[in-house]
Amino acid sequence: VKVLATYNIKGGVGKTTTAVNLAYLAAREGRRTLLWDLDPQGAATFLFRVRPRVKGGGHALVTRRRPMEAALKATDFDNLDLLPADFSYRNMDLDLDDTKKRTRRLGQLLDTVSADYDVVFLDCPPSISLVSENVMHASDTLLVPLIPATLSLRTFDQLTRFVADSEENPPEVVAFFSMADRRKRLHRDVIEAIPRDRARVADTVVPALSLIEQMAEHRAPVPAFAPTSRAARCYEQLWAEVQPA
Amino acid sequence: MTMPTSSLQAADGGPLPVEAVSDALSAEFGVSAGPRAVVRRTRLDTFDHRLRSAGLTLDHVTSALAEQLVLSRSDGTATSVVPVSGLQWPARADALPDGPLRDVVAAASDIRALMVAADEKRRVRRLELRNADQKTVVRVELDEPAARGAATPPTVTVRAMRGYEDQARRAARLLADHGLRSAPLGPDGNDEGDPADGSGPSAAPIDPAAPAQQLLALQLGRFLAAMRVNVPGLLDDIDTEFLHDFRVAVRRTRSTLKLGRDALPEVMRSRWEPDFKWLGDLTTPVRDLDVYELDLPMMAGWLVAADAADLDPFAAHLRRRRTAERRSLVRGLRSARFQRLVADWEQTLAELTGAELTGAPVGDGDVLSAEELAHRSIRRAHRRVVRIGEAISADSPGDDLHTLRKRCKELRYALEVFAPVVDKDARKKAVSDLKGLQDVLGRFQDAEVQRAALRLFADEMMAAGTVPGALLAMGELVGHLDADQDRAREDFDGAFARFTRPASERRMKALGGRS
Repeated sequence: VKVLATYNIKGGVGKTTTAVNLAYLAAREGRRTLLWDLDPQGAATFLFRVRPRVKGGGHALVTRRRPMEAALKATDFDNLDLLPADFSYRNMDLDLDDTKKRTRRLGQLLDTVSADYDVVFLDCPPSISLVSENVMHASDTLLVPLIPATLSLRTFDQLTRFVADSEENPPEVVAFFSMADRRKRLHRDVIEAIPRDRARVADTVVPALSLIEQMAEHRAPVPAFAPTSRAARCYEQLWAEVQPA
Repeated sequence: MTMPTSSLQAADGGPLPVEAVSDALSAEFGVSAGPRAVVRRTRLDTFDHRLRSAGLTLDHVTSALAEQLVLSRSDGTATSVVPVSGLQWPARADALPDGPLRDVVAAASDIRALMVAADEKRRVRRLELRNADQKTVVRVELDEPAARGAATPPTVTVRAMRGYEDQARRAARLLADHGLRSAPLGPDGNDEGDPADGSGPSAAPIDPAAPAQQLLALQLGRFLAAMRVNVPGLLDDIDTEFLHDFRVAVRRTRSTLKLGRDALPEVMRSRWEPDFKWLGDLTTPVRDLDVYELDLPMMAGWLVAADAADLDPFAAHLRRRRTAERRSLVRGLRSARFQRLVADWEQTLAELTGAELTGAPVGDGDVLSAEELAHRSIRRAHRRVVRIGEAISADSPGDDLHTLRKRCKELRYALEVFAPVVDKDARKKAVSDLKGLQDVLGRFQDAEVQRAALRLFADEMMAAGTVPGALLAMGELVGHLDADQDRAREDFDGAFARFTRPASERRMKALGGRS
């Protein structure tokens, strides 16, 4: 199983839309796919029309009082399952802190269902926390959406240092620009200026498109409700770039 | 991801109007029905049902809107749906789109081609059952034949979705409350028999005291069925295993004729032994070339100095040779001689079964029982193996090991042919003992034959002006085969000692072997 996490320290950069659309595309190819919505806000869970509730909450999952398998939900799409968010995930750091090997527990939990899946996406909450450290241990690839702004580059810099310093076998970091507006000079300049020596930067740029915002109305991935749209094509290109072999 | 399904039908097998099904379900679910689509559902499997044996079903489903491969567990749980286009059958698994579905199918089908096992046009309508959040929680498929006389009556399939199993059970209960009943297994419901491939020991009960001819006729009949069933696939060149299985049946026939000489009429020796030798010889050249083609990827992995691509001219040479040899094979199998052989053989076996075939047996003329012949044949074959094996020393020529290999095969066939009348456990263990020795001898002889053939191919390719890179790469292969053969030779003494160890000898003795 290959684990990809959409992650950024900042919020509102397109993590959830990326995780949802790429997970849908992976499943559409026939890969058995799981998306774990780790963000207590539960946006990915909402987009798949699943109730944001896990029996026993995050505590029961982390402490293994309830098997992870029992919390899984099928989405409306073939080959794509969801591990829903739960508001109690806001306390996941505390739950993890109480466990042995506290930075590896999420990876251990994923191991219990790994035989059922070819690809797992982790949609992460925006922070640097114990959950983030767990995500880095568990992931093969860290997908980092960046809004093309100067502060984003600074954040990206912090993130790559954090990954490099905190991991023996760090995941591959793949950044890509999200919510980009090529009409803005600043966006164009930042896209050009990003240092490409410390991490891979995908060629695909996902623009700021109203169709992506409409996912919340349709409660579905873009390629499902607008399969021939530019937004769908962007995510297909991005998936082609980042998908595991 | 994989969830159970339940299939239901009207009690009288009659039609199931979508309105009635929707009404039944709408008491508890929001029901949205998709458009009716005519789909062609082509069930795929290998000729010897490898997918079915692995608990899998693979359907190629085509409609006006989509073309998909659907891989399911035989209990109805969907595992994977992959969009495809333009697939033609038969085809090997490597023709499927890259991905987990192909990996699963390839692991089960191995070198066998996927063929059409059943093909039916159905009118399908998908119903999505939604909860209050408009989330689909159950899928229901209404499926009716598109033409009269179809094998399966209209069926409703309720597919559970992970995390919503309760709702699927509820939906099935609602339908049952409206008079629907569980459907029996469909046309692909795993109730087909295996093809008569004649593989493995026969399970048919035979009285050990019955005349040996009865057992021999039964086994020879199975082998004939195996030959027949493989001929169409062999002629169409669907995959290499049709020829392989055909040859195995011929070889078993030849061995059975030889083992049964003491109990069979003389005509079996004078006419049928040469006829089946002709048939075996007819199929040998193509099979040898098939083995090369199948082994080529492995052989490419042996190369150290040369590159795998250096073997491309060799692969092309093999394909050309195979095309030419296949022409002869097909000519032979379409010839009057082959047709006559099969028809006459069938007649002969019928007479043998009905004891109408008369004539003095080659042996001592007594009517042997199946058990007596079994013990006699196994004893004789075992004695030969031990005698030849004991005479092999470090200085023995390769031909001696080849002779021993042939005698081992005879013993193996004796253990298979007489399986119905000898002790089951002792036979199983004896086969296992023998396998170890056969493996070593097989490695030795295969290396010998392949090396000689490589030299011959190299000569032919040189005469045709091939590039030196290919010949150098083939030289490396010869070197590897040399080393392989040396290793097999070194392993022989140990393998033979294991075969003749007291425990193994005791087992063989219980089966009639050397006392």
